[in-house]
Amino acid sequence: MSHFTRRHFLSQQAFGLGGLALAWLLNEEGALAAPEKPPLEPQTFDLKPRRPANRPQATAMISMFMQGGPSHIDLFDPKPELTKRHMQTFTGDIKYDNAAEASSKLFGSPWKFSRHGQCEMELSELVPHLGEVADDVCLIRSMHTGVNNHGQSINALNTGHFMNGRPALGSWMTYALGSENQNLPAFVVLTDPGGLPVLGVDNWSAGWLPSVYQGTVVRPTEPRILNLDPPQGLRGPAQERFLSYLEGLNRAHLDERPQEHDLSARIQSYELAARMQVAAKDALDLSQESAATHKLYGLDEETTRDYGSRCVIARRLVERGVRCVQIHTGSQTWDRHGNIQKSLPAVCQRTDKPAAALVRDLKQRGLLDTTLVHWGGEMGRLPVIQNEKNIGRDHNTYGFSMWLAGGGVRGGYIHGATDELGHKAVENVVTHNDYHATLLHLFGVTQEQVVFSRPTGAGALVNPQDGKIMWDLLKQRPAEVASTG
Amino acid sequence: MRTTLLLAAALIVPLVQTAAIAEDSATNDVSATADAPLTFERDVRPILKTHCWQCHGEEEELHGSLDARLARFLQAGGDSGPAIEPGNHAESLLYERVSQGEMPPGDKQLSEAEVATIARWIDGGAKTATAEPESLAVGDILTEEDRAHWSFQPVIRSPVPRVASAERARTPVDAFLLARLEREELSFAEEADRATLVRRLSFDLTGLPPTPEAVERFVNDPAPDAYERLVDDLLASPAYGERWGRHWLDVAGYADSDGYSVQDLERPWAYKYRDYVIRSFNRDKPWDEFLVEQLAGDELLAPPYENLTPRQADRLIATGFLRMGPDGTGDSAVDQDVARNEVVADTIEIMSTAVLGLTVGCAQCHAHRYDPISHEDYHRIRALFEPAYDWKKWRGPGARLVSLWSDDVRAKAAAVDAELKEIAAQRTAELDQIVSDTFERELAKLPEDIQPAARAARETPQDKRDDAQNQLIKEYPFLKVDRGSVYLYLEDRLRGHQKKWDDLTAAKRAERPDDDYVRCLTEVPGHAPVTKLFSRGDHNQPRQDIGPGELAVLSPRGSDVDIDANCEELPTTGRRLAYARHLTSGRHPLVARVLVNRFWLHHFGRGLVATPGDFGMLGEPPSHPELLDWLADEFVRGGWKLKRLHRLLVTSTAYRQSSRRRPELDAVDPENRLLGRMGVRRLEAETIRDALLAASGRLVDSMYGKSVPVMPDEVGQIVVGVDTRDSAGRPSGKVVAIGANEFRRSVYVQVRRSQPLGMLEPFDVPTMSPNCQQRSSSTVAPQSLLMMNSPLVVQLAAAMAERIRREVGDEPQSQFRRAWMLAFGRAPDADETAAGLAFLSEQTSALEPLNENGQPPAADADPKAQAPAPEHAALAHLCHALVISNGFLYVD
Repeated sequence: MSHFTRRHFLSQQAFGLGGLALAWLLNEEGALAAPEKPPLEPQTFDLKPRRPANRPQATAMISMFMQGGPSHIDLFDPKPELTKRHMQTFTGDIKYDNAAEASSKLFGSPWKFSRHGQCEMELSELVPHLGEVADDVCLIRSMHTGVNNHGQSINALNTGHFMNGRPALGSWMTYALGSENQNLPAFVVLTDPGGLPVLGVDNWSAGWLPSVYQGTVVRPTEPRILNLDPPQGLRGPAQERFLSYLEGLNRAHLDERPQEHDLSARIQSYELAARMQVAAKDALDLSQESAATHKLYGLDEETTRDYGSRCVIARRLVERGVRCVQIHTGSQTWDRHGNIQKSLPAVCQRTDKPAAALVRDLKQRGLLDTTLVHWGGEMGRLPVIQNEKNIGRDHNTYGFSMWLAGGGVRGGYIHGATDELGHKAVENVVTHNDYHATLLHLFGVTQEQVVFSRPTGAGALVNPQDGKIMWDLLKQRPAEVASTG
Repeated sequence: MRTTLLLAAALIVPLVQTAAIAEDSATNDVSATADAPLTFERDVRPILKTHCWQCHGEEEELHGSLDARLARFLQAGGDSGPAIEPGNHAESLLYERVSQGEMPPGDKQLSEAEVATIARWIDGGAKTATAEPESLAVGDILTEEDRAHWSFQPVIRSPVPRVASAERARTPVDAFLLARLEREELSFAEEADRATLVRRLSFDLTGLPPTPEAVERFVNDPAPDAYERLVDDLLASPAYGERWGRHWLDVAGYADSDGYSVQDLERPWAYKYRDYVIRSFNRDKPWDEFLVEQLAGDELLAPPYENLTPRQADRLIATGFLRMGPDGTGDSAVDQDVARNEVVADTIEIMSTAVLGLTVGCAQCHAHRYDPISHEDYHRIRALFEPAYDWKKWRGPGARLVSLWSDDVRAKAAAVDAELKEIAAQRTAELDQIVSDTFERELAKLPEDIQPAARAARETPQDKRDDAQNQLIKEYPFLKVDRGSVYLYLEDRLRGHQKKWDDLTAAKRAERPDDDYVRCLTEVPGHAPVTKLFSRGDHNQPRQDIGPGELAVLSPRGSDVDIDANCEELPTTGRRLAYARHLTSGRHPLVARVLVNRFWLHHFGRGLVATPGDFGMLGEPPSHPELLDWLADEFVRGGWKLKRLHRLLVTSTAYRQSSRRRPELDAVDPENRLLGRMGVRRLEAETIRDALLAASGRLVDSMYGKSVPVMPDEVGQIVVGVDTRDSAGRPSGKVVAIGANEFRRSVYVQVRRSQPLGMLEPFDVPTMSPNCQQRSSSTVAPQSLLMMNSPLVVQLAAAMAERIRREVGDEPQSQFRRAWMLAFGRAPDADETAAGLAFLSEQTSALEPLNENGQPPAADADPKAQAPAPEHAALAHLCHALVISNGFLYVD
């Protein structure tokens, strides 16, 4: 009887699972001979914050995943040579995704580039707002995955490997670091009202990591999280008593089944759900934001309202200690195989202002230093025309751009370069593995912290031989890290 | 010795990390150098296969003329000369290229350990284990090592092992398991108590909780065969087919919609396949027959498929198995050639993972990276399906439907259609008369002198009218009156006319027999397109012709199992029928193993092979190989009867064990691969919903028929109901009652690929892209929010409380006892009862009593809602807590 009381429940809560496991171990101690070595480490998988091995520069991440492949040569990577040879025949070796429509005519960007910020970063007129924060942006012009399909290249950027079924970046981050906020999910995914990106829910799957590290979807329209409202008659104190009774039932059930991790994970999940009823409501309530913020992100305009709202939500979540937020565009939003002259500006208009606002807003709130912002898709585009009747550009994973900001990266810096036509990355090439190795470094996470053993062998986000830390991207170089770390 | 140790370690403790494995293999290599020289087959070939063969061996055109499939070829070399200089790695081109990172191109380089292995192999003289052939055909990549993989070997029935504690081995299954446990000085756990057993068996065999009465009956049954009789009862229950059919529907990728594109078109006739599966399970149809029907049921009949008997219809319906993958070819907005070839690829994927337990699909674009499945092998399998799935002469989903109408029904329908046409003609004629009458009536109202000009204006075609006529028409719009606008001139707005003809049409239409179609796979007689090998899987790059056949590695050396390209005795090509008979011959090494492994997985929570869809090199080796083979053999010998196998498994001591962990067991076998206890398992998505329906007393157990529709509710959550949104997705406000259908078992609820049911989705209901080998079991907060707050769960908890009051009255202790029995299938103990009653009483007194209007005084109350009395609400809350607790959601 006594173990059902509310006080017991509270003390258990304060004691936490670790305490419970310890109590179990102590209980059992009499029955067990002292082991020579510590037994297999009791596996508890939770979202409690964990200290990285090294001193971190970034503690949270917002990734704006631009699925479909933004055209780097029309947005970030000016190619005067391409403009000069506009409509001339390209004689080099090109891999097309759609060979049937392929043409080898070069196509100079129809958009003008100009210099922005003190760093004089050259950017296209399609991303004017990004230009305003250029001095905080670390632009990588030499990305390379080398696999020309959307799915595989998404996997590369998002899981570190080409094949399906592996844990997403956000799952690895929360596996390694947990979360600073126990009232909200640790890894949040903000999906697009237009639908899921290519690969769907696999984009935030925990793969073979424990399910507690799976991304939690916040819906693109209200209600952004389902079932947050307790039913009538089961609110306030009534729900508290209800949950307390439930907790007692679950604890007693677990007491009889010690070391069943899924049972304790579900107890945690009920606790999180109860707290989310309030915390998620608050975190998702954009009416708390000032008019200035609404304007900054473009919430007052039809074109930018959706993407802007999701950017504000991302900031509000990170502000509250959520470890990783990924904002997705819909399926193939950036995959402009045709009609590029009209459709590309439209996509930019939806996203440019909110994305730049996110950087500016994080900075003015003092969050940019510790928040790594990522903007990029799984590929860029080819310098030649695909389909002369309806001009667009085909896939290019051999050279493309993406940008980072905050979280310890160098602002106002351009890294690497593609060839004179923007086809292949040729200088300071950054692969998806390099990107991940760099990202882990910024979070103070060693590669060993993102390894997981499983029945069919161990898996890692990135293998040491595959990814190199790109020191040039960072504010702090090895010597400085050594002295501060 | 070392190998044994490593294997044992791999079995019990997963290896810790990749880095460790790499280091380990490096040290392993050092010791190997000391013991025996490295060989090409064992040490080098796997590295080259993964990294090099795509360009150097698997394709007709060798890059740099170098073939890296044999040591002999490496020594012969390519355009740049010999690739290896035996005894001297530093002088070997192969070593130079891979160690410098020049090869392979791209960012996927060999690891240092792999490069070192190649160097040591060269230095050791570039030895091979056996003499190499002079030449290899293109794509011929099989070696003895490939053929030696365990799952490609014939099934061998080993003698049942002797065990020390023979009294614990009720069945041969137990003997195999116990022998393994005893090697670790372990044994089975004690038998679970009867309440646990009846709950475990009920969920396992029927997917439903035991009724309190069934629990009482079993717990108090003194007969020695009480357990066996319970098993028989459950296997005889119609719910058995619903439960086990659902498992097979996962493997088949069952869905009621096409998926593939955002349109996600509905498949209104898919349900017949679902019903066929459920019926087959309930009738215990032998699996050889079941598989043959699903792979080639159409070839057991002769086209045209008309006037079919129910048995014949079943054979066509069975081929729905090959029609379950996503299919975008009904959506004109997608690239048809791509979509068609995806259908073929997904069908191969479903068939091969389901029946062969191999990821054949990996060989679609190039030879399988890990398994000995060549690019040609893949296309041999493709050739089995191509006569039915000819991507160049495609039949869309609509064109593949076969009507089940008999000639009589067809004639009746034709007669009704003719009458409907006649009704439509009469309707139009009457409408035209109304138009004409209206015109005359309105014309008569004009001054007489204008009338002739007005009539002329009306009768002149629009493009021939002069200015004066146009002016007239502008002034008198009735001059343009037509079928569409005539209602404006009529007092009853044409309602009388419309109603009369609507009613007549509806009455006639009601006489028309309901449509009745089968979604199936058929061939067009005489049509056998040539299958081409698609280079890199690209249908725009066809290469050589390929004939149908079995994977080379599954054929005895030198005697490929060839499937005749055309069977003279059949009107169809007979390819699938021949293949199905080959699979079910009882001699196929994979089919029976793969099937019994799946059945084992559902009973015990983990397969003897933990990767049920992958029996290849990357799959896990069986934890109990002799047991797997014994079961496979027993299954085939027993006539492929599943119920017989169920009895064998669930009556074992192993199955009847307690699920409690024991420290001595955890220390050796934390993942419980040796089955020294049962596992604790969460219910699957459908089972959670069904169990909730059962506990609440709302479950409707009607079987079969059209799928219960799903729709988005007002917040966008997918619920059961008829979607009445308009084509733009706006709510129409219409509500179509579905009555008792709302609470049917989940297996009957429409599986819309783009609209997973809100109650199921958070609990890992599979997405079917294209099928599901094994469900995951996640634990995330949205599940908890759903269980705490979703209107459906709240509604069912209230229904459960109402049921309890109806069954046992108002006395709290009886209520509590009944609630506990319904939720957990056992009686509560004193502590549990005290805690429950305390909650009931606290919650009742804390909930404010209703005011005189029967309304709760709380400020947040919805004035329209009928509030329950506090003690009723408290009982509902109690029920709610029980059915969302772990004791309900998990089975011991």
